[in-house]
Amino acid sequence: MIQIQNLSFGYNRKKLLYKNLNLKMEAGSIYGLLGKNGAGKSTLLKNLIGLLFPNEGSISVNGFTPKKRSPSFLETIYLIPEEVHVPPLTIHGYMNLFSPFYPDFDKVKFFDYLNQLDVKDEGKLNTLSFGQQKKFIIAFALACNTKVLLLDEPTNGLDIPSKIRFRKLISSVFSDDRMIFISTHQIRDLDNLIDRVIIVDKGELLLNASVDEIADKLCFKTVSEVDDMNQVLYSEQSLKGFSIVKENTESENSKVNLEHLFNAITEKPEMAKAIFK
Amino acid sequence: MNNTFNAKRFALLFKKTLLERPTQMFGFTGLILAVILILYFVCKSQISFPVAQNITFIWGLAGGACFFASFVFGYFSSNASGASYLTLPASAFEKWLCGILITGVLYPLIFLLFYRMMDTGFVAMYHNSLDPSSPLYKMQYDAVYVFSFTGRLAMKVYPIYLLLTGISLIGSLYFNKASFIKTALSFCLVCFALFAFNWMFAIILFGKIDSAFPFHGVDLLVGKEVGSIDLPKQMFQVYAYASDFIVPLLFWGLTYIRLREKEF
Repeated sequence: MIQIQNLSFGYNRKKLLYKNLNLKMEAGSIYGLLGKNGAGKSTLLKNLIGLLFPNEGSISVNGFTPKKRSPSFLETIYLIPEEVHVPPLTIHGYMNLFSPFYPDFDKVKFFDYLNQLDVKDEGKLNTLSFGQQKKFIIAFALACNTKVLLLDEPTNGLDIPSKIRFRKLISSVFSDDRMIFISTHQIRDLDNLIDRVIIVDKGELLLNASVDEIADKLCFKTVSEVDDMNQVLYSEQSLKGFSIVKENTESENSKVNLEHLFNAITEKPEMAKAIFK
Repeated sequence: MNNTFNAKRFALLFKKTLLERPTQMFGFTGLILAVILILYFVCKSQISFPVAQNITFIWGLAGGACFFASFVFGYFSSNASGASYLTLPASAFEKWLCGILITGVLYPLIFLLFYRMMDTGFVAMYHNSLDPSSPLYKMQYDAVYVFSFTGRLAMKVYPIYLLLTGISLIGSLYFNKASFIKTALSFCLVCFALFAFNWMFAIILFGKIDSAFPFHGVDLLVGKEVGSIDLPKQMFQVYAYASDFIVPLLFWGLTYIRLREKEF
């Protein structure tokens, strides 16, 4: 479980990125952390793994304090940053040097994941394309079997087939005792993958809800005309009329559109808060 | 699990540190040794054996280790490698100890071994080139001996090595990019400021001065004569001990604190 209490963080003490952020996340979910560029998504991930320290407040990850960066904590969590680093080693060389640090590393699964992501053993890793390097690190991180997996813009640099493979792989490795936390601004890449959505904007937590809860409380549909704009969180003109997001007062069944949800929550945060209170 | 030190984990980390960047790690060492060999040869041929021995010993040990030290923690030039290094499941103490072992034990050992072989080889070649029947043979033979690692110069170089390496280590953790250059510039700036303040302070206290070395002594101008005021012997010993050992070791120790507190 991850518990964030009254977190304040800023690269500059006078200009805080997060102020009094409270968040609780349980294992057994794939979280999608959505936010605009510069909203502090990567910063939050770095705080969760102990690369950055809170100015105020506390963070607890499965009972560990990330700031201490103790080995017993670090072997239970893995961060895949937006830009990955691979040394000039072969796949086997990398595995031999890095995997012993992770006690639950599974060699068989590692090669299976590499195969699924179509990463070929072709010499040194640093000579591979960026996408291949990223897929290699994703496969390695998944094979480490850590309790918490943090992914920062994982689909950046991946081609379309690789994005599909990535989504399939994440879904297949997920288990009830793991927590996967995906930060992205490429919202469409998370469709059908995440089961909880967290939206942050201007240092504030705007939404932390399950996809089911969102579908229950909001209605995503296309209408020919928007009757009352005050009732609508978001509207976008489309070929068939207007795609809108509004409160689901009539218990309608609709599919959550993450992109529209994100726009709705960030454009009318107060209205969204009232709905999800 | 011991979160501060675990022998097995440390062995894994040491192996990983040496092997993950083999070209840089062994390439740097090889490059430094090759430069030292060339420098020795040039100085010996153009100037003299003692100059060659002294210069290469100073630059090889203090300069080489200083350069090497800036590389040991040099993971922070990119976000990805810095994050990968700091989140690797090993303690800050183990990571620090790894860097210390490489710069404080491994490199000096390799360098001293190489230096001894190189120096012995050149000196032997020189001795063999002499004509035993020459009346100058004894004098020429005695003019060149293998450099002593416990001699006066060597004993002065060891503290310099400790100091520069310590500064370089801590600099590599303070400056993420071009750390060696930034550390060297900062060091020069601090030295300059120290000399300038000391000079001003000495002028305020003594009036006309010829020279003033920080924490050491001052040469006064009395008419056309120069008179020296040095620290009392006991005080000088304290100063020498502090500057030779305490300050350098402080830098080495601060490196650990900086690594533990490093945010990236």
